[in-house]
Amino acid sequence: MKSPESKAWPKMTGWDEFHFLSDLVLEHSTADDTFIALFDQHGGTTRFANNQIVQNVDTRRVSYAVTAAFGRRRGTATTTDLTAGSVQETLQRAERIARVSPEDPEYLPPIGPKQYLSLPTARPETAAAGPTRRLDYAREAISQCKMENLNSAGTVSSAFAAVGVAASSGLFAYEQRTDARFSLTVQAGEATGWAAAAHRSIDHLKIQERTLTGIEKAKRGADEPEELEAGRYTVILEPAAVAGLLTWLMWMLDAKSLYKGTSPFVGKLGERILDRRLTLRNQPEHADLLGTGFTGEGLPVFDSVWIDDGVLKQLMYDRFTARQHKIEPIATLESPCLSGERPAGGRVSDLIRTTQRAILVTNFWYIRTVNPIDLTLTGMTRDGTFLIENGEIVAAVKNFRFHDSPLRVFNQIDAFTTPAEAVTSETGKVLVPAMRIRDFNFSSVTKF
Amino acid sequence: MNGPPWVEMAEAALARVRQSGADYGDVRILDTITQSVRGEDRRIAGIREGNSRGIGVRVLYKGAWGFAATSVLSLEEVPKIADLAVEIAKGSASLAIEKVRPAAEPVHRDRIATAYRIDPFAVPLEEKTRLLLGLMEVLHRQTGIVRSSANLWTQRDRKLFVSTEGSHLEFDLLALQGEFSATAVQDGRFATRSFNSPHLRLGYEFINDVDWLAEAPRVAAEAVEKVRAPVVEAGRYDLVLDPEHLSLTIHESCGHPSELDRALGYEANYAGTSFLTPDLLGTFAYGSAHVNLIADNTESETLAATGYDDDGVACQKWDIVRDGKFVGYCTNREVAPKVNEVRSRGSNRADGWASMPIVRIANIGLAPGSSTLDDLLADVKRGIYIEGHGSYSIDQRRYNFQFGGDAFWLIRNGKRTHMLRDVIYHGITPEFWNSCEGVADRSHRRRFGFITCGKGQPGQSGWMTHAASHALFRGVDVIRGQAQP
Repeated sequence: MKSPESKAWPKMTGWDEFHFLSDLVLEHSTADDTFIALFDQHGGTTRFANNQIVQNVDTRRVSYAVTAAFGRRRGTATTTDLTAGSVQETLQRAERIARVSPEDPEYLPPIGPKQYLSLPTARPETAAAGPTRRLDYAREAISQCKMENLNSAGTVSSAFAAVGVAASSGLFAYEQRTDARFSLTVQAGEATGWAAAAHRSIDHLKIQERTLTGIEKAKRGADEPEELEAGRYTVILEPAAVAGLLTWLMWMLDAKSLYKGTSPFVGKLGERILDRRLTLRNQPEHADLLGTGFTGEGLPVFDSVWIDDGVLKQLMYDRFTARQHKIEPIATLESPCLSGERPAGGRVSDLIRTTQRAILVTNFWYIRTVNPIDLTLTGMTRDGTFLIENGEIVAAVKNFRFHDSPLRVFNQIDAFTTPAEAVTSETGKVLVPAMRIRDFNFSSVTKF
Repeated sequence: MNGPPWVEMAEAALARVRQSGADYGDVRILDTITQSVRGEDRRIAGIREGNSRGIGVRVLYKGAWGFAATSVLSLEEVPKIADLAVEIAKGSASLAIEKVRPAAEPVHRDRIATAYRIDPFAVPLEEKTRLLLGLMEVLHRQTGIVRSSANLWTQRDRKLFVSTEGSHLEFDLLALQGEFSATAVQDGRFATRSFNSPHLRLGYEFINDVDWLAEAPRVAAEAVEKVRAPVVEAGRYDLVLDPEHLSLTIHESCGHPSELDRALGYEANYAGTSFLTPDLLGTFAYGSAHVNLIADNTESETLAATGYDDDGVACQKWDIVRDGKFVGYCTNREVAPKVNEVRSRGSNRADGWASMPIVRIANIGLAPGSSTLDDLLADVKRGIYIEGHGSYSIDQRRYNFQFGGDAFWLIRNGKRTHMLRDVIYHGITPEFWNSCEGVADRSHRRRFGFITCGKGQPGQSGWMTHAASHALFRGVDVIRGQAQP
């Protein structure tokens, strides 16, 4: 897990330094159990709007958390100061809290040493990227939009993080991670087009290609949009829209809620919940996902199947609930890939070409739970909503509000593509197909 | 506190900014302590005390911004951060089309501190955990309750703001909040009822002054009543909304569209723009004559009443909607001149030392009317009374919204009758506010704070308080929450 540092300034917390600080705390701890978590990140974001820079920031932020436990009494304290005096004072605060905390019947001591996947989580080109590289990318996107007489707004960001966990149980893990992101909204009068990317490597953001996608969307919508009535429609959901629905489904897979009877999945573990062609896996080693070697508790991350041929196979377990139900090892879902048998092609256009009439949805916005019992969600279409007729996009339409459940929607699938990268402002990065779905419920229409 | 004196560090940073020839610069140093005590299902699930310290340097160079921040507080690091902020601003300037020319603001030298009787950090943790555990025990005495939560949260921000213009502001601000909830299960359904002592800038007396243990049996009983209640029949209803519920409606449908940076496109790639475009200022019929929405960042105890914002602008009070007409925006020094205002409204705030301040919603509240709650209810033949927060969603220009709530009662012939479940209403913002036919008087007014208002890239959490009295809205479209097969 040890990897070389790649930044001269600011000097990030290296393996040796984290080890030293961990040993310092563990040696001074009087607690029965001590757990340490480090997150040291340096990164920046260049933000533009109206074709110029409106915000350009660079931040180095450390978080060092110590959890101390006496028996089942537990307390946590954090600091942003990595000096030896500060981390020891943080330990003392954690111990002070723990001593007066009531016993937690669900407390479990930190896990012991584990073996972790060794993943290429840190890419040197991203670690080395600074304000100049981010500005160059922003300039590239802005210039393309200006050439088309269009208005652009977006961000370019890059970050390098040193992440570690250590504990009195002998647990020790350290990993360096990089993250680069690009998102763009192109405005053509009232119409907007959108594209986004996230990757460990800043070289993979494909600024030009994604800017052209945003431009094309905005230009298609530039004519006065038609207002269609609310109702049930066949829809083609682009990957970002599918990701919005899938993410809420994944967030609700909490095991404790299921066993307490407060989950939409009560009685559904081992049952078919989605179209039988769909499978959801965690794939931390996938090069286009943001896999990590370990979780915030130091649990090893590994490949796992969550939904297999439409059947719910796996839940998200906290350690206490996992022990109650004899779940070992605990699977995690930070690198999701939804794929299906017999895809209709690799591109959204493969679905459009074979569609008689449908609404094409680029993205959803402000998705929220409406009814947690059946996982009914609502949200708005955004940044490119179009009418498809006879295999072609024929008009832009005003944005709809949807009111439907992914548990129903993902059982109404006509066709889908191979998985593609999807990242939105409200979800993490996932690999999901575009889908054509029958009887999708739009409950109202907005003014644009 | 360890480390070099703040003023020395701040002056070292400002000196570098001045040497660079920048138009303007400011420095914020913060020390934030956050304590959260979290109860879940009759246990204390976590106690956490976070301490976050750092410095942020903002530079305006040839009309363009640069910002750099670090949690490493040392006299060696600070000049490097200031130099980096300058370099970043120079890069921004290379793409500047319209240069930033901040609205003028007098130089201020002041110290602001939250007034309180009981320091929440001095209250023993045992007292807090005893309260939460006791509450959850009471909640679970009600048959049908299967889950509970009870939380206390408090934060202290010590902050120094200095600028190249000579402003020097010191802050010592407190905020706290408490809440609990009970979840009932019946026939495979579940429902949650909540109680909130909302975020305000007060001491622990705010928690002591509310008898939580007396409220708990009612909350638990209403959770059970809610899960057993009949499902609403879709259709048009008159709605009477309580102050807590209205705080969220105001936040989403008035607060965000009145942020001038949104209206000017700054947030087009994330939070969105606004239907309240500058050409509508002073003329647009946002609501009925009953609707007066007032921004007041001077009201004590409210979250945005910090004395000065992160532009160093003094907090103010102004109208957003007067007699139903849209008349004002929330602004900062950068955007105020773009609508020909000579002074910022003082609504520029960052969520910590690591963030660059952006325009945030002010403490916008619905001005009291002259009715009582009973008057409003009496005027309704078929309606729904809604309390608290539930599901919420709104389009990126803030036209099409949809809200749920925490609890719903059917109103029939002027009387609140039984509870309903699965109530959702939706509408178009100006149509909704134009359907307002009455607002209760000041005796009904309550205040609710928000600390997780998401905006900006990187994302920041905004803090503000929305006050309201109960209000009546006619003929609103109500649907069932559950999706129909």
